[in-house]
Amino acid sequence: MNENVLSRAVPAKTSGWLHYFANPGRFLRFVQPILPWAAGVSLILTLAGLVWGYQFAPADWEQGDAARIMYVHVPAAWVAMSGYAMLAVCSLFSIVWRHPLADIAAEEIGPIGAGFTFVCLVSGSLWGKPMWGAYWVWDARLTSVLVLFFLYLGHIALIRAFDNKTHGYRAAAILALAGAINLPIIVYSVQWWNTLHQGNTISLAGGAKIYMTMLYPLLISTLGFYLSFLTMVCARVAAAVCERKTASALLAAAERG
Amino acid sequence: MQNTWPYINGAYGVTTIFLVAAAWLTFARYRRALARLRQAETQ
Amino acid sequence: MLKPKRRRLYLVIVSGLCLSAAVGLTLAAFSSSLTYFLSPRQVAAQHPAPGMSFRLGGIVQAGTVQTTLAGQTPTTHFAVTDGRAAVPVVFTGVLPDLFREGQGVVAIGAMSGDGVFHADEVLAKHGAAYMPKDVEQSLKEAGKWDPKFGPPPPASTWNDMKVGS
Repeated sequence: MNENVLSRAVPAKTSGWLHYFANPGRFLRFVQPILPWAAGVSLILTLAGLVWGYQFAPADWEQGDAARIMYVHVPAAWVAMSGYAMLAVCSLFSIVWRHPLADIAAEEIGPIGAGFTFVCLVSGSLWGKPMWGAYWVWDARLTSVLVLFFLYLGHIALIRAFDNKTHGYRAAAILALAGAINLPIIVYSVQWWNTLHQGNTISLAGGAKIYMTMLYPLLISTLGFYLSFLTMVCARVAAAVCERKTASALLAAAERG
Repeated sequence: MQNTWPYINGAYGVTTIFLVAAAWLTFARYRRALARLRQAETQ
Repeated sequence: MLKPKRRRLYLVIVSGLCLSAAVGLTLAAFSSSLTYFLSPRQVAAQHPAPGMSFRLGGIVQAGTVQTTLAGQTPTTHFAVTDGRAAVPVVFTGVLPDLFREGQGVVAIGAMSGDGVFHADEVLAKHGAAYMPKDVEQSLKEAGKWDPKFGPPPPASTWNDMKVGS
């Protein structure tokens, strides 16, 4: 049952920083004091980025005001992909080292990541209609992001589909690891194939093809989205750890009679 | 040039609704989990 | 005898490599159908059969756009180029707002017997460069870029450029 999730986490012989933070109780003590501050900073940064992009950033020479959708679309896409990368890393730790905290984190990342992917798809679609002339086209970039959305949905369903939680964790971890192959496909789709979606504006190689008065709100909004994602995931993991502790405390009380 | 503001408002609206809803649900669950744990430990 | 953790790690790595190879080979095999459009160079090389529907993508060649009005609906003749080859296109209907010389477009339609692409639909594909109007204006005035002739110069020459105001 649930209590072994906690007792198993105490490293007996294993050592190292990884195992140190993989202990749910220690995670709780470490994260709880930070959460209110993280939530406050996320709120301020996200709000600042959105208001700056919606109201104060200059209109684009070609797209006009419609370019403002970039300030929600691009950060949402980045967070959606990074969230899936985190999910894959958690799955690796779940499969190889059987870390209980990695299982909990994988379960809690799924819904938030799927939400950001949904925001990315909807905002891109609302931008495509006035700019391209179509809400949706089946080019490689759009299709691979839609696949990402379905991978998230599949993971959410699979990890909750088993009566035995451990079986769900293993099956979902395999799905998440196999689906990670989609991430490089999303990133490079605009280079490998002719797509209607434009190329990458910001890449590691070469300068950002964006004027600085439009780059700053994009960076602020990206920072805000990332922090919001991390704060929400940490709060959900902390809540999940508390729920498991509650369950095992109640079970222990029932056994005492 | 056609009016693109309905599309912009839609994109920002969906984003805001998602962020507010997700943050609120997370906060509510976190608070409830803490309260129940405290209750279980004092029993 | 390997420790179970080691064994699981190697198993995951080997599975990952096999899966990557499988997906990579599949994508390489289906590469042509994953491509959303053909460029004029590909059209010149492959000669798609007349009447076979496909998508043609490229830049609207400067100085080739001619619009004639027959009643209410405009008919536009233009050429789509990728710098090496050009394909003449004819489209009847209202073009997207962003359509202009030097604009990236994707036209959906088929070749006719006379070597002209008859488009049923034209989508605008714009570049990845974002800049305010006044930056574009001053680039134009400095003679560094004219949007008619394709994408802007390297980003580092303008993305923190001072604009007189």
